Amino acid sequence: MTTSDAFRLLVPVADSVTVRNTVAYAVDVATEAAADRPVELHVVDVASTRAVDPDAPAELAAASDLLDRVEAWVDEDTGGERPSNLSLVTEVLGADQYLFSPGDYADVLLSYADEQAIDRIVLDPEYSPGGAGPMLRPLTIELARGDVAIEEAPVERRTERTVLTRAASLPKYLAVFGASYLFYMLLSAWKPIDVFTGFLTATLVAVLLAPVAFSDQPSFTRVAKQTVRMAIYTPYLFKEIAVANLQIAYVVLHPDLPIDPEVVELKAAVWGDTAVTTLANSITLTPGTLTVSVTDRAFAIHSLTAGSRADLFDGGLERAVRFVFYGREAAAIATPRERGDDGGHSDG
Amino acid sequence: MTPVEWAIVALALLGAFFGAVAAIGIIRMPDIYTRAHAASKSDTLGAVLTIAAVALALESSLSTVKAVFLVIFMFLTNPTAAHAIARAAEDQGIEPWTTEDEQ
Amino acid sequence: MVEFSTSLLAIAAAFVLFAVVALYRVFVGPTIHDRVIAVNVAGTNTVIAIALVAAAFEESAFLDVALVYALLNFLLSIAFSKFNVEHGGVL
Repeated sequence: MTTSDAFRLLVPVADSVTVRNTVAYAVDVATEAAADRPVELHVVDVASTRAVDPDAPAELAAASDLLDRVEAWVDEDTGGERPSNLSLVTEVLGADQYLFSPGDYADVLLSYADEQAIDRIVLDPEYSPGGAGPMLRPLTIELARGDVAIEEAPVERRTERTVLTRAASLPKYLAVFGASYLFYMLLSAWKPIDVFTGFLTATLVAVLLAPVAFSDQPSFTRVAKQTVRMAIYTPYLFKEIAVANLQIAYVVLHPDLPIDPEVVELKAAVWGDTAVTTLANSITLTPGTLTVSVTDRAFAIHSLTAGSRADLFDGGLERAVRFVFYGREAAAIATPRERGDDGGHSDG
Repeated sequence: MTPVEWAIVALALLGAFFGAVAAIGIIRMPDIYTRAHAASKSDTLGAVLTIAAVALALESSLSTVKAVFLVIFMFLTNPTAAHAIARAAEDQGIEPWTTEDEQ
Repeated sequence: MVEFSTSLLAIAAAFVLFAVVALYRVFVGPTIHDRVIAVNVAGTNTVIAIALVAAAFEESAFLDVALVYALLNFLLSIAFSKFNVEHGGVL
């Protein structure tokens, strides 16, 4: 199997937001190279604990689960038929020792690269095994000790990063400063001293909190547009809230407590922190539904009655939220039920 | 009382009705998730109606601004808090109550 | 004839009563989350009662108290559930 002239690619993977795209990139590189010589794609997961640890079974299970997914992705990316000279090797490494520093990880990867005569290592930009912080920089430096080519996969970093703090820019500082100053002044008595203390407070707030305040660059025109559309959305939301409350009041005050609760899943076509939060809160406020958790775009929703589940998959709220955040064209979208998402229920 | 004051009291009474629904829901509902329904919806509307009444009752514009802020806070924070609590319950593996549990 | 401020105070008293009713759930539980959500409801009702008292006495400074209390109430719920999730129910 290990022919001497084969091109061997090593991709260390761990759960991260860009791991999917990194694998896709590696498959691209591999299929391109496979045109003229055999290619071995090594995908490895480096375990941080030892196999004898109490935590190890969970970690090793997660690792093999991830590798299974990678195998499925590779099949997906090669269109179901891998080129005959492209072989995939998946492996869990480092289960025989504790790993702490980027140097430890580099040691494991380099010794594996040595053993398998790896030609190139493709790194996931968000690679952070063991759930530690980002370790791309130190790991790249450590890996440079070996004589393998290293490449960072040119994948786009998604906005859904786990880090809370993002680099703050001047518009961010100004937006936070302005908003807190305005808020302070609205609640103050408008004495000269308030103008001064408000300025101090707003400065302090801006300096401390601007780095965590926005996930996107604040844009005045976008915010203004969304505010106007939000004003159109609000009456609709109020109507839904009124209905929701009458329904709850009926259910709560009914002697038999006629409820039939169930958790359903809704895959909503919204993205971005604010839009997802708005939809989640709107779902919570409207008839018989309560958002329990949101993973990416999948909403786990606890519904109180069968009727409320039916309403949910008619997608009225989703359309409304899309209207608020993306404009009128985006609001015209098929309902979740038409998209084949009915939360695991069949209906006529 | 003037007609405006009657209207304010009526609004506050309507709010109190939903406040009562929330309190009764908290007591009567069978599990954490259904209780969160009562807490998030009824209590929010009860708060919004009553504080709107307060905003009308207070004459100075500053108080009205404060009351409006209070309403906005309630709108944003109540469902979020209910969501956070429900998610915490889900994370700990608390199973939702279903009609089968009754038997 | 009923006084305007008296009727507002009576409604405030009703909300205090609802808060006390919610306290029953705080004592009974059974899970920590039931208690937190009941405390949240009791807190919201307290905020409403404070706002009504502010209206009854025409005292807008009470609204500041209500505002701060509303924010604290929210923080309490978030902090409790956050702590619960991340520390596996230490509380």
